[in-house]
Amino acid sequence: MSPAHEGAELGIGEELVVAEGIHKTFNRGMRGREVQVLRGVDLRVTKGEVLVVIGPSGSGKSTLLRCLNFIAPPDQGSVTFLGRRLTGDVPRRRPAERIRYERELRYFRTHIGIVFQHFNLFPHMTAADNVALGPMRALGLSGHDARERSVEELTRVGMADKVNAYPSQLSGGQKQRVAIARALAMRPQLMLFDEATSALDPELIGGILDEMKRLAETGMTMIVVTHEMGFAREVGDRVVFMDEGRIVEEGAARELIENPKNERTQAFLSAILS
Amino acid sequence: MILAYTFRWELVPESAGVLAHGLKVTLQLSALSFVLSLALGLVVALCRLAPSRPVRAAAYVYTQIFRALSLYVYVLFLYFGIAAVFGIDLGTFAAGVVALTLLNSAYMAEIYRAAIGSVEHGQREAALALGLGHTRTFSSVIGPQAVRVAVPGLVNQLVDIIKDSSIVAVIGVLDLMGTTIQLVNTKRAPFELYTVTALTYIALILLVSAAAALLERRLARHLASGGTGPGPLERMRSFRFRGEAPA
Repeated sequence: MSPAHEGAELGIGEELVVAEGIHKTFNRGMRGREVQVLRGVDLRVTKGEVLVVIGPSGSGKSTLLRCLNFIAPPDQGSVTFLGRRLTGDVPRRRPAERIRYERELRYFRTHIGIVFQHFNLFPHMTAADNVALGPMRALGLSGHDARERSVEELTRVGMADKVNAYPSQLSGGQKQRVAIARALAMRPQLMLFDEATSALDPELIGGILDEMKRLAETGMTMIVVTHEMGFAREVGDRVVFMDEGRIVEEGAARELIENPKNERTQAFLSAILS
Repeated sequence: MILAYTFRWELVPESAGVLAHGLKVTLQLSALSFVLSLALGLVVALCRLAPSRPVRAAAYVYTQIFRALSLYVYVLFLYFGIAAVFGIDLGTFAAGVVALTLLNSAYMAEIYRAAIGSVEHGQREAALALGLGHTRTFSSVIGPQAVRVAVPGLVNQLVDIIKDSSIVAVIGVLDLMGTTIQLVNTKRAPFELYTVTALTYIALILLVSAAAALLERRLARHLASGGTGPGPLERMRSFRFRGEAPA
C-alpha cells in the first residue's frame, strides 16, 4: 500500500491529529527579545471535522498551525498525526535517528496541506508548475503525472484557463485558488487555512470561502484560522478561542459564537461582530 | 599656446597587433576570474547562511578581510610577499587571477547573500510545507528567485573585474594595460597609445553593460511577488546594509 493511503482507513470521528502541551517562543535565547507565542496548547481534531480557530491578532493562531506541520517546530509538546507522534527535538547528533526524524517530518508535511494568508505562490513558476512541484519533488510523481494532477486540481478550483499564467498575472482571489489547488494536489489528510481570506479584496472573499465550504462538504478535515464569523458558524463544527498563547474557550461552533461563556471571548466577539 | 608635443598617430596601427594580444590576455584574465569568483562567492555565501556557527564565522571573516584590501596591495602581496616566503612562483597570470578571484568572490558573496535574503520568508515556508527538503527548497524555490535578483550586482562585478584587471600590469602581466605601458616605453607616444587603450576599455565595459541590461530585463519578467508584498526585486532595491543611508 502506498503511504499516501495509509490513513484512509481512519473512520469518521476518530482522532486524526492530537497536539499536546504545545509551547513556542520566538527569538529564544535572545535576552529581552523573546516572545512567548504559545503557552501550552492542547488540541484534538477528529477525522472529517472542521475546527475553526478564532482570536485577536498575536494570540498565536498562525503559529499553532505552523507547529502542526513543523514549519515552526514547537519548543515543547508533541503532535500526533495519523498515529505518528513527533516533537520539535531534532536528533542532531545521531545521523540514523536524524534521517528517521526527517522521514517522519516529510510524512507530516506531505499529508498536511496549508493555505497561507499571503498565498506564497512561487513567482517564477506558472500556476501549473506551482501545483505540480510538490507531487513531483516530494511525492515522486513523474513530470507527466504531476502535470496531469496539477491541471485536474486547477480545474476543480475553476482555474483551468489560467494553467500557464504566472502569479503576477493573477488577481488575489485567483492566486489563492492556485494555492488551494497546490495544497490539494498533495492529496492531504488534513488542510490548514491560515487567514486565507484576510489579504483579499472584499468582493473576492466570498469565492474563496465557497471553495473552502465545498472542500468541507467532501469530508476533508480542516483547521481554519479566520475572522469570518459567518463561515465559522455555518461551516465550522467546533470553535476554539485563543488569547495570549492559550486556548481560552472551546465548544460547538454555533453555541460558542452565539453564547460565549468566557469574558474575553465575549469581548472579542462583540468587538468583531459589531 | 604652443604644444611641445608632436602627435604621431601613425604609431597606433603598427602597434595594433601587440595591443590586440594584450586585449586577449585581459579578456582571459577577466573571464577566468569572473567564473571562479561566481563559484567561490556562492560557496562563501552559503557558508554565511549555514547552520554551523564556526562555518558562518569563517565566511564572515573571509568577506570582511578580502573586501578590506585594494587589488593593488593584494597583487603585490601575493606575487612578491607570499612567493618570497614560500618560494613558490605562481606566475604573473595566475597570481593576477587568484588576486582578482579572492577580492571579487568576497563582494559576490555579499551580493548572493543579499539576494537570498530578499526572497520572501513565506517562499521557504511554502516549499517546506509541501514536504520538500532543504536542498530541494533551495534549488527549486529560493535559488532561482535569488539568482534573478543577484544578476545585476554580479554583472556589475564583471565590470569591476575588467577595470581592475589593469592593475595586474604592476607585476608584469602583459594584458592590455601591460602591453600599452611597454609600448609607451619604447615608442614614446603616451597620449596616442593610452587614448587607444582607454577607448578599448570603455568599449568593452559598454558592451558588457548593454548585455547586462538585456539579461536583467529578460530575467525580471514574472518576478513580481507571488504573495501580496513587494517582489524580491523591489525589496533588493530597498535593501541597505546597516548604517547605510537610503539612496
